Amino acid sequence: MKRIFVDYKKCLACKACETACAVEHHPGHSLLATLCDHKTQVNVRVLGIDHEAFPLSCRHCDPADCLNACPSGAISRDQESGAVLLDASLCKACAMCAMVCPFDAISFKVTHRSQYNRDVAYKCDLCNERIKEGKKPACVEACHSGALVYAEHDSMRGKHAAKSLRTYLLGAEGMPPHIELFRELRRKEFARRRGGE
Amino acid sequence: MKVVTVGTGMAAAEFVQRLRLEGFGGEIVMCSDEGFAPYSPCVIPFYLAGEPLKTVYWKGKDFYDRYRVTPYLSDPVVEVDTERRLVRSASGRNVTYDRLFFATGTRSWYPRPEWLETMGVFGFKTLTDMMAIDRYIRERNIKKAVVFGGGFIGVDAALALWHRGLEITLVHRNTRLLSQMTDEDGGQFATRKLAAKTGIDIRLKTTVSEIVSAGGQLTAIEFSNGERMETSLLIVSIGVSPNSEALCGNDKGVASNEQMLADPDIYTAGDVAVTRHAVTGEQGIFATYPNAMQQARIAARHLVHGDGSFGGSVNTNVLKKHIDFPIVSAGSFEGEAITRQQGDIWRRVYMKDGMINGYIIVGDTRISGFIYHLYLSRKRVDKSIGTILSEPRHDSYYRGMLGIADPNRN
Repeated sequence: MKRIFVDYKKCLACKACETACAVEHHPGHSLLATLCDHKTQVNVRVLGIDHEAFPLSCRHCDPADCLNACPSGAISRDQESGAVLLDASLCKACAMCAMVCPFDAISFKVTHRSQYNRDVAYKCDLCNERIKEGKKPACVEACHSGALVYAEHDSMRGKHAAKSLRTYLLGAEGMPPHIELFRELRRKEFARRRGGE
Repeated sequence: MKVVTVGTGMAAAEFVQRLRLEGFGGEIVMCSDEGFAPYSPCVIPFYLAGEPLKTVYWKGKDFYDRYRVTPYLSDPVVEVDTERRLVRSASGRNVTYDRLFFATGTRSWYPRPEWLETMGVFGFKTLTDMMAIDRYIRERNIKKAVVFGGGFIGVDAALALWHRGLEITLVHRNTRLLSQMTDEDGGQFATRKLAAKTGIDIRLKTTVSEIVSAGGQLTAIEFSNGERMETSLLIVSIGVSPNSEALCGNDKGVASNEQMLADPDIYTAGDVAVTRHAVTGEQGIFATYPNAMQQARIAARHLVHGDGSFGGSVNTNVLKKHIDFPIVSAGSFEGEAITRQQGDIWRRVYMKDGMINGYIIVGDTRISGFIYHLYLSRKRVDKSIGTILSEPRHDSYYRGMLGIADPNRN
């Protein structure tokens, strides 16, 4: 099954993924419609930790703690894509899912999917409709730097294992030079800030 | 093989669904004292708050047909004859079984059961209760209610009716609401915040000592301090007791082993089952949905494949209903307390031997999953826990993953 992988060293924190996600999940499907709309739902969040940044969202775990904790039948797994899906019309916002999610990937607010004028849980749906049409998830398509990759879970893990061994043996990161430069500048900037300026 | 479930609650429904998914083709009978398809007790208060009835049937209203079940409804099972392997119902029906799944849950416990005979006094536990309360509120145009009992169910009841627009008085004999889920400080913080956010009149260290009725209709109640309040709706939600009499002859719950067996032919699960706590090893009733679901799955697996064992229950729970203000807790509130409060957020972790022994998180859920996994995995976190609780951006899990320490750490 395919999953979204994050190569955080390539993330430039441009937040194109957040914007694309908001547009994709907005009933208006346009950037203008998402702006100033308090019901706009963004299922991915770019987290900045000092000089590092990366997009975080649902990992679609299997088994998924949230799915096993949901007492209202709102969370289910699409057997075909493996995506863990949340049906807002059944969600009671009871937070059992959020209580057990180690990744803090589930949030609550009134979204366009709320049916009873109250908050519901919302999370990444792996762009389940898009991927069934053979497209990539919106965030992956929007990512310019290659930090987000939509790929087969098993082969990707194998590649990572081989790559990290190569990195270990040869000391080569294999990062494109312009991204190396960007990372270097960002590291310096944070070191400068931490220096008390 | 013929399988009979006593109960049609969440555990029984999960059990039956699992049996069918695992390929069980035998006869299945489900018995209940109520007359509904399996429903979610966690969801039913939302029906009272004004949301549609269909959402309470969390595995579908056509459950019995879909899983080829013969339902015997509205007829409580009063006796289990383990020697002859049959259950007897109140109406006198005998149902034989090869394997029994005993998941009868709990029922409301009433200090004065005779109060229920008065029109306007209700329990708050079953869908039958919810429908009766809903009809009563609609027919009498009720604007005001008193909820007696401020535990999980009482607070749930108060918030559901508050959401519906009623003026609520919540009476609780303890010094704080949710006294089982919280310690003194956390409970008082949560109580103050809930009162401020909802305007519910919360009366602590108080009980309802008497009800006043006229012609069988509730007109007022008297508090333990002698004060009287006019009301025509009283919800009594001060406690529950396990429905274990039919099997055990008492209401202490049903003891079970790691295969969820109470007897060689009888499985048990859910709020009636006595199980082992996964962390403390203590035996008890841990009445939450995730526990019931895991227990039911273990039982179904064992019945079909003869293997699998239950790793234990966890007393983790969250109350976040009808209002965006969660109260999360788990474990025991003993050990060294480390507390962090900021605005609406209050977090406390109890540490023992360098590990999390228990925790209470009020006001948000952002780090609750991370703390839950640290608690369950028995990781030593004595050096980092202070930072985890106080991290202004709630990102300590990801900091840990990247190996970047918090610069503000002392």
